[in-house]
Amino acid sequence: MKRTLLWISALTIATMVSACGPKRPATTTGQGPAAFPGATTSAPATTPAPTSSGVVPPPPPVVIPPDQPVVAIDPLTKAPIEAINKDSPLKPVYFAYDSDVLDDAARKAMADNAEVMKKYSTWIVTIEGHCDERGTAEYNLALGDRRAIAAKNYMVTLGVPAERLRTVSYGNEFPFDPAHDESAWKQNRRAHFMLTAKD
Amino acid sequence: MRIVVRSLVGVLVAGGVLTAATSIPAGVTSLPLQDPQKPPQQTEIVLTADKPGSHPKVGVPDFTVTGDAKVKEAADLVANVLWADLEYEREFYMINRKSSASIPVAATPGTLPFDQWQQIGADFVLMGSAKASGSALTVEIRLISTRGDKPGHEDFGQTFSGCSVENARYCAHAIADDMHKRIRGVDGIARTKIAFTSDREPGRMTTRPVEDSGQSKEIYIMDYDGANVRPITRNKSLNVAPSWGPDGRTLAWTSWASVYPDIYLTSLDGRPATRPANGTEIIQNQHPAISPDGGKIAFSSSRGGKPGYYDIWVIDRDGTNLRNLTPNTVDWSEGAPTWNPNGNQIAYTSDRGGSNQLYVMNADGTGSRRVTFAGPVDRPTWSAKNFIAYTLRQPAGHDIAVLQLTGQQPVIITNGAGSNKQPTVSPNGRHIIFVTTRWGKEHLASVDIDGNNIKQLTTVGNNTYPNWSPSPR
Repeated sequence: MKRTLLWISALTIATMVSACGPKRPATTTGQGPAAFPGATTSAPATTPAPTSSGVVPPPPPVVIPPDQPVVAIDPLTKAPIEAINKDSPLKPVYFAYDSDVLDDAARKAMADNAEVMKKYSTWIVTIEGHCDERGTAEYNLALGDRRAIAAKNYMVTLGVPAERLRTVSYGNEFPFDPAHDESAWKQNRRAHFMLTAKD
Repeated sequence: MRIVVRSLVGVLVAGGVLTAATSIPAGVTSLPLQDPQKPPQQTEIVLTADKPGSHPKVGVPDFTVTGDAKVKEAADLVANVLWADLEYEREFYMINRKSSASIPVAATPGTLPFDQWQQIGADFVLMGSAKASGSALTVEIRLISTRGDKPGHEDFGQTFSGCSVENARYCAHAIADDMHKRIRGVDGIARTKIAFTSDREPGRMTTRPVEDSGQSKEIYIMDYDGANVRPITRNKSLNVAPSWGPDGRTLAWTSWASVYPDIYLTSLDGRPATRPANGTEIIQNQHPAISPDGGKIAFSSSRGGKPGYYDIWVIDRDGTNLRNLTPNTVDWSEGAPTWNPNGNQIAYTSDRGGSNQLYVMNADGTGSRRVTFAGPVDRPTWSAKNFIAYTLRQPAGHDIAVLQLTGQQPVIITNGAGSNKQPTVSPNGRHIIFVTTRWGKEHLASVDIDGNNIKQLTTVGNNTYPNWSPSPR
């Protein structure tokens, strides 16, 4: 309970900092706390209990005396791994049917992911390879592996140490969208970046 | 407790259906996995030759019962399960029990209402009686001819002692296997088991660190007919591709319990599973197949080659003697190995020709040759009867195909209803259990090798990767 309260305070401070800081962009496309949408409003981020999905009431305002230096506490450094993965700053990478080839959108997403991983230098990330349901389970396990490894190799070229990247394939066993149409399949053909360890 | 199959009232020629007798010596047969305490079956029996092609019509009245309601319940279960076991193998034409329900139950063969049985087409009436002593159940079976000069003639009689009231299904399966063997010369499969993967029990996949990580998938075992499902793993991870050893007690499978896929091996005796292939994050191992002599495991592994590309490896079950059977440095991926009945060849998939196809090689890795030319294909199962069943990609989905390896074209067994994948073949080669989406989710279904007799075996959750146990020996 004490930890949770502390963390809410940290969030609040970070929110205020990011809202007030003149250099911080207002959009959520950049890196850092503002790129972690939901962290300031989502209850699961503050409550490790996996079943909670309610919204936390706004915390009491924290008064920061003027002229006193403020140390920004980044919520991502304190948040539980599961909370970060729930609304991750690491973007998924999507693939064409039966392909492990990285396209421009994939490279762009991974450029952002590489920045996040450089900023949080203790993070260990497992890149999961996933497939849509249309192939066979056995083939898809191998295809998922190739997708994950293609993503890992590109991350390494972007300067992320290979030791901080792991790969595993889940084939078509854990679809992100369980529907049976192209819009679901598109979601399910991906390399998913899962934070595995930090600090 | 012993099941003593005590012969015999007499096996005589009747109506040209049942023929002469040869005695076979008493033997001891273990009954894998039914009930660990359950003992070997001792037989002193008379063997009758089969008459392929004729399908005697058999009616099954209620069994007569000596005992209380619990015994009556067990006797009803034996009658129903035995009926279904006999119906499944299609050696007898089984008359629906509802259509004979109004015919009075007779206490002795002589008092059977033969005219009524003849009216609904029965060549034989399978009479049963059950009595219990404590939980020990004794079932007597008699097959009575309704036709010919002497209706009431007993053509097969057997007393099965050592069954139990609690395990009436198994009693019926043992009787069915015995009847098939001795009356029809057919190796029944009523006592076999199916291992499979299912997400039927709620439980989060705990090896993915996120709240909505997905449903864990565990290994289960059930009877061939879908009854008696019991869990084998409880690790809240992903567990797939179970493969039986020849003893019907050893199981190998792929588990992500350590986060990365590795081969696990258990004797189903409560001891912890071993990991003979010693997988790591870098060396990922999948899809084990235990050799017919039980000594080796073939599997696919990413070790040694280019990352992300798998080869077929083989290892002794104690973890020694590891070798790569398909070494290559190009972008080929091999998978899904399966042994031939002799253990001297392995079929597997490879995408070396552009699409995933089946190849057959010697068990030392030499002499690979391609054996399928349509598809892509996946998941070969080399049956004990020496044909290969596999998953074939069709324009609209997947179907189950069977390849004889003697030059013929493959035969497609399923007909495009839903997507049909991952076949496994019964030890007698007469049935295939596979995964189908025809009923919505992924369910296991049984089909005869001729494409008939589709039966749904699972109704809960998603169910995949069926693997048929060997027959009890």
